[in-house]
Amino acid sequence: MAHSSGDGWPIVDIRNLNKWYEDYHALRDINLSVAPGERVVICGPSGSGKSSLIRCINGIEPFQTGSIDVCGSRLEPGQGDLTLVRRQVGMVFQQFNLFPHMTVLENCTLAPVSTGRLAAREASELAMSLLARVHVAEHAHKYPGQLSGGQQQRVAIARALCMKPRVMLFDEPTSALDPEMVKEVLDTMIDLANEGMTMVCVTHEMGFARQVADRVVFMDNGQILEIAPPAAFFASPRHERTQAFLRDVLDR
Amino acid sequence: MKQDDSTFVATAEIAPRPRPSEPAGWWVRTRALYFSSPATSATTILLSIVLIWLCVRFVDWGVVRAVFSTGSQGPDVCRQPEAGACWAVVAEKFRLILFGVYPYELHWRPALAIAVLGVGYLLSAMRKLWSRRLVGVWIVVLVVYGILMRGGILGLVHVPEDQWGGLPVTLILATLSLAAGFPIATVLALLRNSPRPSVGKAIAVAFIEIARSVPLVAVLFLASVMIPLFLPADVSLSKLFRVFVAFSLFSAAYLAEVIRGGLQTIPRGQYEAAEALGLGKMVTLLKIILPQAYVAVLPAIVNVFIAFFKATSIVVVVGIFDVMTAAQRAVADPMWQGFGTEIYLFVGVIYFVFCFAMSRYSATLGQR
Repeated sequence: MAHSSGDGWPIVDIRNLNKWYEDYHALRDINLSVAPGERVVICGPSGSGKSSLIRCINGIEPFQTGSIDVCGSRLEPGQGDLTLVRRQVGMVFQQFNLFPHMTVLENCTLAPVSTGRLAAREASELAMSLLARVHVAEHAHKYPGQLSGGQQQRVAIARALCMKPRVMLFDEPTSALDPEMVKEVLDTMIDLANEGMTMVCVTHEMGFARQVADRVVFMDNGQILEIAPPAAFFASPRHERTQAFLRDVLDR
Repeated sequence: MKQDDSTFVATAEIAPRPRPSEPAGWWVRTRALYFSSPATSATTILLSIVLIWLCVRFVDWGVVRAVFSTGSQGPDVCRQPEAGACWAVVAEKFRLILFGVYPYELHWRPALAIAVLGVGYLLSAMRKLWSRRLVGVWIVVLVVYGILMRGGILGLVHVPEDQWGGLPVTLILATLSLAAGFPIATVLALLRNSPRPSVGKAIAVAFIEIARSVPLVAVLFLASVMIPLFLPADVSLSKLFRVFVAFSLFSAAYLAEVIRGGLQTIPRGQYEAAEALGLGKMVTLLKIILPQAYVAVLPAIVNVFIAFFKATSIVVVVGIFDVMTAAQRAVADPMWQGFGTEIYLFVGVIYFVFCFAMSRYSATLGQR
């Protein structure tokens, strides 16, 4: 199995990662590692490369040089089948990306059943318990289109958890939500963090970063400019662009 | 109490009130719909007059003055100057139209074959029966169809394929070519839609473009005349089979473009979500991408189905005896010459029943 050697530290290890879109150098010499149980929040202005970075971690975006170790498997440029790695990494998207033609429950059970990980009944039971945990169990037999954005995003979290991932990636999970629904999704993520889930989260929610993160990563122009624990990051940012960014984000 | 309009705080909850009733009466509604302006009124009146005139004419010709039976006097009754539509010719010829030159005394067999196909259609139309068992149902349907039409076993007299005709041929040709064309079309669409160039993609693009730019008639001649020339003398494929292959491939090219349109409506996020969950390529395709793609273009798919169902009538040119060929044969009967209108109307009704059923059924599917 791909994860046989991956139980030690770290769970995600990104080394000298570089990525280009056509000729645009989108990620530049990225080095970042995430320990089991750690919560890392990545922030930065739009276009800074934070989404590209998180999408490289489960191989949804290809990269050109460098390497990423995820749960004991090594991702390298031009790699073929990443299915096994992806089954250990959960991902939640900005646009939810639920499957609209399936019920909430079917959304959750499809992956564990079709990958042979769980029998249909076990998958159902697991899905129902996870849906209950994110407070949408009563909607299990509805279609995604019948739910609010906040409910859909919580279903998306439950769907990812059904694969029992060892690390969860969040790509701006609250950016597409109406303001009054942001809190319910953040609360779900905080619960998840409190249960010890390893999380890498791209977000603009500075309150969430302050409350949950072990470390905050600031990116701009495809580069990591600063990594610090939230207390230090918000109280005394060192890089001048971090200072400017925080002024813009917080002084509103 | 004066309300300041620059700042305001509500002091009381406004309770919901019933909606004011619409102006009632059929005349008010009719006027709003059909007589709202002078131009609308003029259009309404003009078209009503044309419509009523057409209806009166048709009822006069098709019912009032129509000859439903000639009794023992033969077609001459219909040739009286005051006679309207001669429905007697349909009564006389409907078995020829429905069953072609199939041996007359064995007509119960094609009739039963049509019924068996009908059962297959009805079972397939029921959403709650959609499962793998439907494949079994269709295998049974096709085997029973074959036994009834061909015979030669179970004590049934053998009837060679060149004596088959009429509706059973039209239905089986349309059903089988679309059933075979659909999966071929899906593969072609997927190949053509793939982002990376490949040999498969090149073949798919070439096939679709060529098939779409060649007339169906030419393809049929090719299938019925040319293919046998290339085959060794001792290999002979039945004409019906060759035409079936031609139709499948031809319809596949058209369906492929429709399905490709469906594939293009699937947002990238769906692929990404499937990838992120670690789903395999086949699962992603069969469970996530294709179901959504088909539904997105369902009306266009049905459109192709209807078009090809009607296009099967073109096999007339290669001498396969479908409903249309049978109708032509009926019209050509010297004894009953001059009643083509009635016969073609009857054939039109047959086609209409099937096409309208498909159209209505697809509308109920789309409602979901």
